[in-house]
Amino acid sequence: MSVFERIKSYLANNRFLVLLSVIGPGFIAGNAGNDAGGIATYSIVGAREGYGMLWALLLITFALAVVQEMSARMGVVTGKGFGDLVREQFGVRVTLAIMALFVFANLTVTIAEFAGIAASMEMFGVHKNISVPVSAVIVWFVVVKGNFKQVERFFIVISLVYFTYVVSGFLANPPWQEVASQIAMPRIRFDRDYFLLFITMVGTTVTPYMQFYLQSAVVDKGVRIEEYPYAKYDAYVGAFMTVFIAFFIVLCTGTMLHPAGIVVDSAEDAAKALEPLAGHFASHLFAIGLLNASFLAAFVLPLATAYGLSEAFGWESGINKTFSEAPQFLGFYTAFIAIGAGVIMLPGVPLIKIMFLSQTVNGILLPIVLIIMLRMVNDKEVMGEYVNSKRMNVVSWITVAILILLTLLLLVTSVLA
Amino acid sequence: MPFFAGDIFVSEVYNKPVLDQAGEEIGKLKDLTLGLGDPFPAITSFIVQSGKQSFVVLWDQVNLFNRRVISVNLLKSALHASELSPSEVRICRDLLDKQIVDINGAKLVRVNDLKLGDVNGKICLIAVDIGLRGILRRLNLESRGERFLSVFHYRLPASLIGWHYLQPVEPKLSKLTLTVSRQKVSQMHPADLAEIMSEVSQKERSAIFGTLDVETAADTLHELEPSVQADIIDDLTKEQASDILEQMPPDEAADVLGDLPEKKAEELISLMEKEEAQEVKELLEHEEDSAGGLMTTEFLSFPPDMSVDDAIKELRLEAPDVETVYYLYITDDQERLLGVLTLKDLILARPEVQLRDIMRSPVKTLPLNAEQQDVAEFISKYNLLAAPVVDEDGFLRGIVTVDDVVDFLLPPASRKKRRKL
Repeated sequence: MSVFERIKSYLANNRFLVLLSVIGPGFIAGNAGNDAGGIATYSIVGAREGYGMLWALLLITFALAVVQEMSARMGVVTGKGFGDLVREQFGVRVTLAIMALFVFANLTVTIAEFAGIAASMEMFGVHKNISVPVSAVIVWFVVVKGNFKQVERFFIVISLVYFTYVVSGFLANPPWQEVASQIAMPRIRFDRDYFLLFITMVGTTVTPYMQFYLQSAVVDKGVRIEEYPYAKYDAYVGAFMTVFIAFFIVLCTGTMLHPAGIVVDSAEDAAKALEPLAGHFASHLFAIGLLNASFLAAFVLPLATAYGLSEAFGWESGINKTFSEAPQFLGFYTAFIAIGAGVIMLPGVPLIKIMFLSQTVNGILLPIVLIIMLRMVNDKEVMGEYVNSKRMNVVSWITVAILILLTLLLLVTSVLA
Repeated sequence: MPFFAGDIFVSEVYNKPVLDQAGEEIGKLKDLTLGLGDPFPAITSFIVQSGKQSFVVLWDQVNLFNRRVISVNLLKSALHASELSPSEVRICRDLLDKQIVDINGAKLVRVNDLKLGDVNGKICLIAVDIGLRGILRRLNLESRGERFLSVFHYRLPASLIGWHYLQPVEPKLSKLTLTVSRQKVSQMHPADLAEIMSEVSQKERSAIFGTLDVETAADTLHELEPSVQADIIDDLTKEQASDILEQMPPDEAADVLGDLPEKKAEELISLMEKEEAQEVKELLEHEEDSAGGLMTTEFLSFPPDMSVDDAIKELRLEAPDVETVYYLYITDDQERLLGVLTLKDLILARPEVQLRDIMRSPVKTLPLNAEQQDVAEFISKYNLLAAPVVDEDGFLRGIVTVDDVVDFLLPPASRKKRRKL
C-alpha cells in the first residue's frame, strides 16, 4: 500500500472526518431557526428578565434535539421528505391543509427575514432600497446556480458567523457566577408576563420549517442509512448550536440592558441600545449577527417551502437541478424571494402585524406537524426497524405534548391579547 | 357481469357505502384490488370496511357499481372476513398519491386519481389522473372548481396518462415509472397521443387538444375517428380550427371538413389561407369514399423536357410539401398525365437525359369516381405506393397513397382501428 493510499484509507476511516462530511442539514436547520424573529425574542428575553430564563434554554435544547433527530431519521430511512410522506400516508386533504398553512407561515417569516436584513443594514447606513434587492439577488443566485455541495458549505460558513454573538456575550463581561447560579436555581415567577415570554421563546425556537428543511435536505444530500449515526449527531449538534447562540444573546442583553432597565421590542432596538453601554464594536457585532441570521433564514425558508411543495405534488426538486429539470421547485423558490423582498420594498408595511400572523400560523401548524411526525415515525410500513423505541416514544410523546401545550397556550394568549 | 356504466374515478367510489342484496349497508368501500391484464389490469375484488372488520367482495359478486350505488349479490351474513394475500396490488394503498417518475427516474408528478373503464366487458384500470382536476375531485370540488375557473375563462384541462404508459406494478412499491422520458411526454407520437385522447372523455379531450401545438394537433386529429374529429373541431375556436386544418394535408383536411355540417365547413374554409382552401374545396366536391375523395392534390409533377439533373434539384425543393416522393408524374403544360417515373428510375438515370426518354408510359390510372374498394384492389394488384387519379379528359387531379387504403388491403382482424371512445 502506497503512502498516498494509506492516507486515503485513514481519511476514509476517520470517524471525525466522516462526521464532518455528513454534518450539514441538521446544523443548518438549527441555525436557521435562530432567524430574525428568534434573535428579537432572545434579545427581549435578556433585556426583560436578565438571566432569569436561561434555565429554559436547557429544556429547549432537549426538545429541539428530540424533534430534529426524528426528522433526520425519517429522511435517512425513507429517502423521502416530510411533504412526500404526508401525501403518501395521509392523502390529498391533509396535505393541502398543511401546505396552505406552511406556505402562508413561511411567506410571512420570509418577509420578516428581509425586514431583518433591511433593519441591520440600515444601522450601517445602507438604505433598504439597496440592501434588500442586493441580498435577494444573492439569495436567488447562490441556490439557482450553485450545486448542493457548494450551497451547503456556504450555509455552514454563514452559520459560523453566529459566533459574533458569542463574542458579544463575552464582551459584555457577564458575572459568570451569577449566571451559573441563576441557571442552577432559577427563580421562576408565576405571572403572566414571565409565562408569555417563556412560551414565545419556545415557539420561536421550534418551528415547522426547521423540520421540513432538515428532512428534505437530508434526502437531497442523499445521506445513506449506514450514515444515520452521523446524521443523528448532525441533528443534535444543530440543536445544541441553536440554543448555544441563543444563550449568548440572552447573556449579552441580560448583562448590558437588563440592569439599565432598558426595554427593547426588536433585535435592532437591542443593537442600538447596546451602543452607548457597550460601545461601537459590540453594537456592530450584534447588528452583523442579525444581518447574518436573517440572511441564512432568507435562504432556508424559501428552500423549505419549495422542497415541501414539490414533494407534496411530486415535482422534481433539488438544489443540483436546473430550471428546466425542476421548474416548479426553482419557480417557487424564486417567487418566494421575490415576494419576500418585494413586500419590504413597499412603503408602510405593517411588519408587527405580519410577524404576529406568522407566529399564529406557525403555532397552528406545529402541533399538526408534530403529531403527524410521531405517527409516521412509529409506522412500521414507513420506518421498518427504525421506528421509535419504547423509551424514545415516551420521551418524544412527552416532549411533543409539552410543545403542543405551550404552542396552544401561546396561540390562545396571542389571540386574546 | 355487473352493470357498469361509463368511466369512474376511484375517488368517486372511495368510502361509498356498499349495499347487500337486501339493501342493507355492509360497510364502506375502502380499496380495490388489481388482477392481471395487459395493457389494462382488471379489477378483481374490492375491500369493504365496517367498523374494524373488513370484507372482500369478489368482482363477480357485484351487482351494481357506479357513482351512486354499489351493491352486491350477497347477503351481509354470507360475507367472510378479508384474507388477501400480501402480494395483491391495491389501488388506494399502492397507487393513489404515489410518485410518478419518468424512465430516467426524474420525478414528474403524483397520482392524483385513477380512472376505471370498461375494456372488453371488464372493468379495468385505464388511466391515472395527474392534473388539478384530479385533486379537486378528491376534495369533492371538481364541478365547483370548474365553475369558479370558468369565471376567468379558464378551462380546467384533463391530464390523464394511459395506464399502458406506466410500467407494471408490484405491491407496496413507492413509485410508478413511466415508460417514456419527460421530454417524450411532450413529444409523444401523434398516434399515441390519439390513443390517450380516446381514453378520456369528450370535454377533457378538447381541453387536451387546446394545449397541443398546431402541427401535433393536426397529426393527432387525423388519427382520430371522424365523429370524434368533428366533436373536437366543434369545441375549438374557429381560428384554432382553421389553423389546424391548414396544417393538415389537403385530403385529410377535406376528410375532416366533410364530416362537419356544411355551414360550419364553409366557414372554416373561408378562414383558411387561399391556396389551401382552394385545394380542400376541390377535394370536397368528390364523394368521400371515391378516389376523388381519398386523393391528395399534393404530388410531384414535372414537364417532359426537364433533365434528370434538374428534376432531382427540383425534387429536393418540393419534397417537404408532398405526401410521397416515390413517384414523379410527368405532365404536359395542361396537367395531362403523360407518364410516370419512380424515384429509383430517376436516381439511376444519367443526369443529362430528358425525363420523356426514361418515363414509363402509358400509366395505369383511376377515374375520380372509383370506389374505395376498387382503389385498394388497384393499388394491391399493381403493387403501387400511390395511384394517379385522372378526370374524364385525362387531366391528373391527384393521387391516392397506399396509406389511405391500407385498411382495405389487410385482412379484417389486423386492420387498424380508428380510435373512438
